[in-house]
Amino acid sequence: MANMVKKASVFEILNHWITAVSFIILAVTGYGFLFHLEQLNSIFGNFNVMKDWHNWSGVVFTVSLFFTIFNYLPVSLSFGSDDIGWIFKAGGYFSKRAAVPPQDRLNAGQKLFYLLLLIAGIAISASGFVIWLMPGVRKWVLLSHLAHNISFDLLIIAVPLHIYLATLANPGTFRIMVYGTVPIEWAKKRHAKWVQKMGF
Amino acid sequence: MSRKALVISPELCIGCRGCQTACKSWNQLPATKTANKGTTENPPDLTPNLYNKIRYVEIPSETNPVRWLFVSQRCMHCDDAGCMKICPAPGALFKTKEGAVGFDKEKCIGCKLCVAGCPFNVPRYDEKDKITKCHLCSDRISQELTPACAKACPTGAISYGDRDSLMGKTKIAGSRKLYGETDLGGLGVLYAFKDAPKVYGMEESPAIPESIVFWHKVLKPLAYWGIGGAVAASLVHYAVFGPKKDEEVN
Repeated sequence: MANMVKKASVFEILNHWITAVSFIILAVTGYGFLFHLEQLNSIFGNFNVMKDWHNWSGVVFTVSLFFTIFNYLPVSLSFGSDDIGWIFKAGGYFSKRAAVPPQDRLNAGQKLFYLLLLIAGIAISASGFVIWLMPGVRKWVLLSHLAHNISFDLLIIAVPLHIYLATLANPGTFRIMVYGTVPIEWAKKRHAKWVQKMGF
Repeated sequence: MSRKALVISPELCIGCRGCQTACKSWNQLPATKTANKGTTENPPDLTPNLYNKIRYVEIPSETNPVRWLFVSQRCMHCDDAGCMKICPAPGALFKTKEGAVGFDKEKCIGCKLCVAGCPFNVPRYDEKDKITKCHLCSDRISQELTPACAKACPTGAISYGDRDSLMGKTKIAGSRKLYGETDLGGLGVLYAFKDAPKVYGMEESPAIPESIVFWHKVLKPLAYWGIGGAVAASLVHYAVFGPKKDEEVN
């Protein structure tokens, strides 16, 4: 497959799935606490055990979130006129023939998703640790409970959209998080600036 | 079953603390060693082994240089209870058929969110990090017995009965307004104060913290509709626009 280009490293892929799996465990157990889903006892046994799953998955999530910084933060912060142009055309998602400006290794939507994940992720992690480790400190726990739930709402809306856009909506994207490679022609169309920088 | 309540009349209380002792006796709670701080108010605050206590308030009035108020403190058994609202563990806190807020240590997960949710700073945690507090002697009242504190009270400062008829009786006896008639959906422990609540060390209008109300009314439903909306929007988009085919990308 000579015409493939490497888009994600093994480390990036592994870290992505660690973040993803921990997020799913956190979301499922989180919904359990939020809506008193006793059906989850058939998975976790009881709510005490579920709390341990939630807390320790939170540790895993926090660590993996930290490592995403190296993979995505610099490119996400390089937000230029092409990114703004991409947003004004809504990434071309609402038209069959819309041309969007050439994009970087991440397109503007991916950059925004990452920034949201990072900010909400830091908020939900930090507030989670406060609730876990400073129990009974009323002022801090109330503030953290609020921050925890606001960031949860943001993430639980953003993540399904992320999953849709990376699978069904954009054929050929999902393999990046499995094999790490994409065909050069595929990349040229979607990440022209990045491909150019790579020297193809 | 009609809702049960306690009505506490601080002016009738002589500060004997028989209620504290009776409570410990019925609930088999050990004594706690405390240091003398120059007052017979003891222990200084609720503990995991102290479900109720008498707060001593010394506030001289214009006519009387010596004015002691004795205020029985414990779980107020709110109708709209902040602890229950925020508790993430089903069944850890629950309403008994008499309207008391009971707890189940087996189901408590020790997160202490109830401490943040309680407007009265009541829940305490035992050595195993499980909630403890007054449960209105739910094991006694379910058998139509009077709670231990009210049973032991020699002056009638703590009276127990059906909430409605008890409120009526107290009003006839001359109390202007009962504290807790309507706060938090109506408290299960009412006070027949003869002065401003703050004189007795109580907040004028207790309420569940606003952030918890906001969470309950907005953030919680959003967690439900948000994920559903995101999935639905994705499906609709897929149905309308379909996948981005390679030949369409440019």
